[in-house]
Amino acid sequence: MIRILCLGIAVGTAAALTPGLAAGRHFVVLAVAWIVVAVLLVTYATRRALVAKYLVPGTLLLVLFTVAPVLATVQMSTTNYGDGTRSTKEQTVARIVANSVVQAPDSPTFNLSVATTSDGEFMFFLVDRATNHAYAGNEQGLKELSQEAATVTKGFVTAAPGYTFLTPAQVNEAGPRLKEFAVPTADGAIRQRGLREAFEGRTTLRYEKPADTIVDQRTQTRYTVQRQGDREYFADSTGQRLSEQSWRASVGLENYRRAFTDSRILGGFLRIFGWTVVFAAGSVLLTFAVGLALAVMLNDPRVRGQKWYRSILLLPYAIPGFISILVWSGFFNQEFGLINSLTGLHVDWLGDPFWAKAALLLLNLWLGFPYMFLVATGALQAIPGELKEAATIDGAGGFTAFRKITLPLLLVAVGPILVASFAFNFNNFNVVELLTHGGPFTPDNPDAGATDILISYTVRLAFGAGGAQFGFAAAIATLLFVITGVLAAAQFRATRSLEEVH
Amino acid sequence: MTIRWWREVGWRHVGGLVAVIFAVVPVLYVVSAAFNPLGTVVSTDVVPTQFSLVHFRSLFEDPARPFPRWLLNTVVVCAAVTVVQVFSSAMAAYAFSRFRFRGRRSGLLTLLLIQMFPQFLAVIALFTMVTELGEALPALGLNTIAGYSLVLMGSALAQVWLIKGYFDTIPRQLDEAAVVDGASQATVFFRILLPLARPILAVTGLLAFVGVIGEFLLASIFLTDTDSKTLAVGLYGIIESDRSNNLGVFAAGALMTALPVVLLFQYLQRYIVGGLTAGSVKD
Amino acid sequence: MRSRLLALIALTALLPTAACSGGDGGKGGEENQNEAKPSASAGANAQLVIWTSEAASRAVTPIAQKFGQENGITVDVQVIAADLAATAITANQAGNGPDILTLPNDFLGGALQNGTIKPLSLGAADLNAYEKSAVASVSRNGQVWALPYGMENLVLYRNTKAAPDAPATVEELVSTGQAAVKKGTVKRALSLPVGQEGDAYHMHPFFTSAGGSLFAMDASGQYDTTKVGIGTPESIAAAKKIAALGEKGSKVLSRSIDGSNAIAQFTEGNAAYLISGPWALADIRKSKIPYDITPVPPFRGGQPAAPFLGVQAFWMLSNAKNPAFAEEFVTRAMNTPEAMTAMYEQDPRPPVRSDVLAAVSAKDADMGKLAAGAKNATLLPDFPFMAGVWPPLGQAYAIIVGGADPASTMTKTGKTIENAVRAK
Repeated sequence: MIRILCLGIAVGTAAALTPGLAAGRHFVVLAVAWIVVAVLLVTYATRRALVAKYLVPGTLLLVLFTVAPVLATVQMSTTNYGDGTRSTKEQTVARIVANSVVQAPDSPTFNLSVATTSDGEFMFFLVDRATNHAYAGNEQGLKELSQEAATVTKGFVTAAPGYTFLTPAQVNEAGPRLKEFAVPTADGAIRQRGLREAFEGRTTLRYEKPADTIVDQRTQTRYTVQRQGDREYFADSTGQRLSEQSWRASVGLENYRRAFTDSRILGGFLRIFGWTVVFAAGSVLLTFAVGLALAVMLNDPRVRGQKWYRSILLLPYAIPGFISILVWSGFFNQEFGLINSLTGLHVDWLGDPFWAKAALLLLNLWLGFPYMFLVATGALQAIPGELKEAATIDGAGGFTAFRKITLPLLLVAVGPILVASFAFNFNNFNVVELLTHGGPFTPDNPDAGATDILISYTVRLAFGAGGAQFGFAAAIATLLFVITGVLAAAQFRATRSLEEVH
Repeated sequence: MTIRWWREVGWRHVGGLVAVIFAVVPVLYVVSAAFNPLGTVVSTDVVPTQFSLVHFRSLFEDPARPFPRWLLNTVVVCAAVTVVQVFSSAMAAYAFSRFRFRGRRSGLLTLLLIQMFPQFLAVIALFTMVTELGEALPALGLNTIAGYSLVLMGSALAQVWLIKGYFDTIPRQLDEAAVVDGASQATVFFRILLPLARPILAVTGLLAFVGVIGEFLLASIFLTDTDSKTLAVGLYGIIESDRSNNLGVFAAGALMTALPVVLLFQYLQRYIVGGLTAGSVKD
Repeated sequence: MRSRLLALIALTALLPTAACSGGDGGKGGEENQNEAKPSASAGANAQLVIWTSEAASRAVTPIAQKFGQENGITVDVQVIAADLAATAITANQAGNGPDILTLPNDFLGGALQNGTIKPLSLGAADLNAYEKSAVASVSRNGQVWALPYGMENLVLYRNTKAAPDAPATVEELVSTGQAAVKKGTVKRALSLPVGQEGDAYHMHPFFTSAGGSLFAMDASGQYDTTKVGIGTPESIAAAKKIAALGEKGSKVLSRSIDGSNAIAQFTEGNAAYLISGPWALADIRKSKIPYDITPVPPFRGGQPAAPFLGVQAFWMLSNAKNPAFAEEFVTRAMNTPEAMTAMYEQDPRPPVRSDVLAAVSAKDADMGKLAAGAKNATLLPDFPFMAGVWPPLGQAYAIIVGGADPASTMTKTGKTIENAVRAK
């Protein structure tokens, strides 16, 4: 019953949305909505598909908001999408032509009132500021109004028989249609400027579609499509560009070719990959070592106040990460930072490649050890006491017993958590970006800093020096995805025995 | 204090105290900055020297920084994403733990792989998607908490691994017995497994919560309207716009953000210790 | 079954989610952007959306609200803290951008390249009331692309207790500052943000005074980007002078001073001098430190110290949802002495409307002094490729201040910058 009701609601919602979506021509959204409904129906309306009933909700979300964007990113990696190529060619042409309107020299400025006829046609009522003459104009042209034809108040036409005058909000609302509306004159056309003003100006550029050429009507210069570097522009016969704006195009595997052949990217990539692994593994090992040591120290019945220790040691983990990182970034200042001033050192924490890496690991230790402390405490408490006693009776010393008995059991227990922690740190963008910004840098390669990990490097390539290069960044992201995947698969194999239960 | 006590117990307290100092000093700095009326980097030290509530007042009185609104937004996003993530993950984990089906192993592997892909790298595609969604259904577009939450729900299956591990440790005899008694699979899941798995649900819930509350990369792109911001992007904006002067306000906001999380952690402490690993070891 | 019900309700609620479509997300957004909105929303209150930095928002908000009341619309001024320019370009392309934004003139190049902005429909002749250089800074291809409102350039702030007289040269600045440190009046001579990543903007006056340049200038006073000045012998000589002020030299410059503490060093009375712009003024006045403002001094026997001149302006976006209100606001409401004065009052920096600048300077001597600092200034360049110039140049300054070899650093950085410039 309930199941049917819920499915009914799902179908009903989709049905209710359909007319609006169809009217707005949002066909992709519409299609996806119905596909989701269909999936739900197939899964939950029948008695079969037992497994799917449990997998569908999460999988749907995963597919829509993680897999689909990833696929879109892969697709984007075959385009030149980025700064200067964000729009389509049609949009670029339209923008260039529309932006070429200039006010004719010494031409009049008018006070504007916009009105509509009963059948919704626009009419501009204009008052020349210099002469105070009133005019009415539409796409047929301009004609002067007699005194009686319209009421003029404070320099504006405020009423005319047969016309409805628009309020400012209505003028704004009509914006897109009014943009196209111009009253033709001998020198060009009268156009709207803001809400209450009109000016006489002309479009200086014209697009000739058959020739795919933009013509400057004042000089008759012809701008044709020309390839310059890796993109196309409108340029004159000498190669002078009309506009810096290019347009989006498919470039095939060019972005990948660039990633694999540009020696600077490649050189940086390998070094950074190495540090990324060291950083991720180092963070896991350090936090786990410290967390485990603390757990072993404090997880002893003779230690009083365990609960207090735990409460306080939890603090770093409970504070949202970006807050801690921003606060810590000030601590590492060489002259004024807390660390140097408390310890009396004069370490150049963020300016020296070695110390910058150390600083990152130290910060990550602070952020991560409480979690590992909890994990290790939990695991220790779960190891049966008899095992430890047996080892001790067998004559093993405290440390030997720990190493031979406790540690292996513990590692089995926390294995998956260590893998997850490695994966998290492998892509820990926040901590790098907020603490060192990837630096320090050398003049040899100002794109790849000493503490950059793959993801911070990717983001810099995407949004840094060359402006936004989304297509190229997407290619790098795709490669990054493949690398992460291979690594994860390797780890998965390594922990296979841990995972397989039955 | 005997030498023996020092050898067996005392040194443990020494280690613990060192760790406590390490953990607490940065927190003290935030507290000190929050109550320091000057609120600049230069004037702040670990030990509070002055006391004033001016930064807290500005959080609640400055209309350019509607802190209570941000707090509300954050709570809504965190709650929605956490509930959906834990629930979807628990359902999937049940399937992976209790059913044997084709593609089970590869399904688990694929999940791990996809989770390792940072969603942030697909940000341009996500932005275009949400833009389009917002044109079709304005309630889910940019600058809406709902749209932002949905994007974060892309990680709905992030907790499958942890929960599955825990389910694996709950003896199958329990649910088999129930099935023999005539219970449906759904009843087994909702009535037997979920109640038993409370510790891991609490833990994964907290993990999800902490992850969402600190998310500001996507938020800074999707939520630009002052009233739609979450605490993370709002506070980040405060410190980023004027690092020199806004440390105090930022610290005050940070304290207010961290406080509920800390309390939640304290309350759920026993679950956290037990939930993460209890299962795997008993096995 | 209750839990199951909840689950399904949750699913139902998520349905529209699904709506968010898959694979071809990359394209759809734009096809829709020029469509007129369905008239369903007609009659609803139109909104005017303005994006600004936090500092500018305090000045823009009251003016915008007054404009909203006069026109019966709601106006929303949104503070974008991080990366306003990039966020706006992306959002405008997707049809989600604001109607208006405020940014300095160096937004022009990238915005034109991306078709983000539209021209004012006012010609340069209509803006006679404004400083010519300010209008020129936002003009390109015969169009004016923004309404300028304020200028900003680096000047030298001086704690008059530590240094009663304005220094004529950098050398004098250093010796006076160090004498004050010795006396214990202050803790350091100069506060100039360098940071670990460097700051090419703040270093520029010293660099130019020492003989360096970013690009050569052509006959008409424009940047000649075919001649990059970094990596030349002059730039190496200039870098050596900067190195002499650095951590291995007189220690006047330090990477420990960065954007987060530079102004505070001065307002807390720690530094005798501060090199900063008009944005520091409010803090300095609040701190009650006795101060004076003079242009950044040159090195002894060197070139004049040339800071960059930035011009803050109002820009209209090409995909604005409310183009008429946006145009009305920028070309009429803001384009008045009253509005320009109000901008100055909330966010004090020298106005670029000449009559307002004269009136304001008569009342507020600091404005005249700030403007005087721009005498030798060169316009902040707006080329899109500057994104590939600022970071490596800043990094070079940072490591030179830290003690790296000026010659090899400048040579390598020059190559990097030439690549960045030539790539476009």
